[in-house]
Amino acid sequence: MDDYLVSVLSNIGVISFVALSAYLLLLTGEISFGQQAFFAIGAYAAGMATAMWGWPLALGIAWGAAVGAACAVSLGIPTLRLRGLQFSIATLAFAEMVRILFELFRYQVDIDGEPVGPNGTDGFRSIRYIFDHNIETFDFMMLIYTMLAVTLAGFMLLERSRLGVIFRMIGEDATLASLQGIAVARYKVLAAGIAGALAAVGGGLYAHLTTYVEPRTFDVMLGVHSLAYGLIGGLGTALGPLLGVVIDVGLLESVRLFAGYRMIIFGGLVALLLIFRPRGLLDERLVNRIGRLFRNAISGSTRTGRGSR
Amino acid sequence: MRTIVCMLVAVAALTAGYPQAAHGQVRAKAAVTCVSAGQVLEYDCTIRLANARSGEPLSGLTVSVGADMPSMPGMHNVRAVKATEQAEKGAYKVRLELEMHGDWAVQIDLRGAVRDRVISMLRFEEADVTDVKPSSGRRGH
Repeated sequence: MDDYLVSVLSNIGVISFVALSAYLLLLTGEISFGQQAFFAIGAYAAGMATAMWGWPLALGIAWGAAVGAACAVSLGIPTLRLRGLQFSIATLAFAEMVRILFELFRYQVDIDGEPVGPNGTDGFRSIRYIFDHNIETFDFMMLIYTMLAVTLAGFMLLERSRLGVIFRMIGEDATLASLQGIAVARYKVLAAGIAGALAAVGGGLYAHLTTYVEPRTFDVMLGVHSLAYGLIGGLGTALGPLLGVVIDVGLLESVRLFAGYRMIIFGGLVALLLIFRPRGLLDERLVNRIGRLFRNAISGSTRTGRGSR
Repeated sequence: MRTIVCMLVAVAALTAGYPQAAHGQVRAKAAVTCVSAGQVLEYDCTIRLANARSGEPLSGLTVSVGADMPSMPGMHNVRAVKATEQAEKGAYKVRLELEMHGDWAVQIDLRGAVRDRVISMLRFEEADVTDVKPSSGRRGH
């Protein structure tokens, strides 16, 4: 496969994690502009684990996810009491705080005569796990997509589970959910923790894919985009944010005609969709309609099969 | 909750199969100098590659050069171009076509006797190209 295609597909894969993370919070009715903070935490934590401490990749990414989840829960406990815009601003402030902390964060160790580790605004270079272990970029892309497939399968199960119903119920009307006896705050913190872990997994993969990260990689632009992916692709299914990522990173990236203008096109697309399809392309109504058509087709073919016997 | 536990176990199982550390491989370092190629957003870059430890020039490698904007991960990804080796040992030349001016992370991928990736942070402006120094009031796009 062409190296450029591998690179674009890998980017789509890693950005999908942060898009899914923002989507999960959107399901519970919370708009977070700060998921890039957990992406950053996952990138730094996983990078430090493999590049500085010599941990295997699995452990590094799991460590990144655990740190991301812990930070998200710590942020969620005080901020999820806030509503609407106040919560969004709080997440944005947290993300900027994390970015500035990484600008000040210096911790390096000497590996083979070379200083390795976060170095303030200069970032964290030499996260060369895939080169030190002779992992081809194609194989790493396959790893990203395998993990993404597992995550999507998790989302599909979640949406069919009681937990998924509770998340959507809270998203529709938190007061009503609370009157039904649901511990809204506890479920919101749980969603924030899972969302933090998801973004951190994406960050860990991103750090190993590019071999370097720096604080400005995780500025508000990434947070706004991750939120916009769900709003473009749709909130009816976990495939919605992925569709958003494919449209932005895949379509706009690969069509050179848009080069340099993609942010303008992307902004226009978000504005148009918010007017004409406020719940995105794959909204709940469309997903239900597709599901009904699918079920009818299956039951129709079963009836035809029985009739012919 | 069972779903989440299953997800985490599956992810751990998937990544656990990767090989263990193989430190001591040759690591490369690069000195990159770029000048405007006369066309808007086109730059001619000379890359001097050397062994990071011994300082010896690295010749006979397949070198491809791409670029990414750190301020927007994965969004401005310039297609990698193959660099041509020069008569000078360890020197390679490449023409980069960027999408816009600003700070770019130039990604130099090496294949052959050495497999590595070296990142060089450069600020591309209309007339000149400079190294991006830490805390130098960086600009994205």
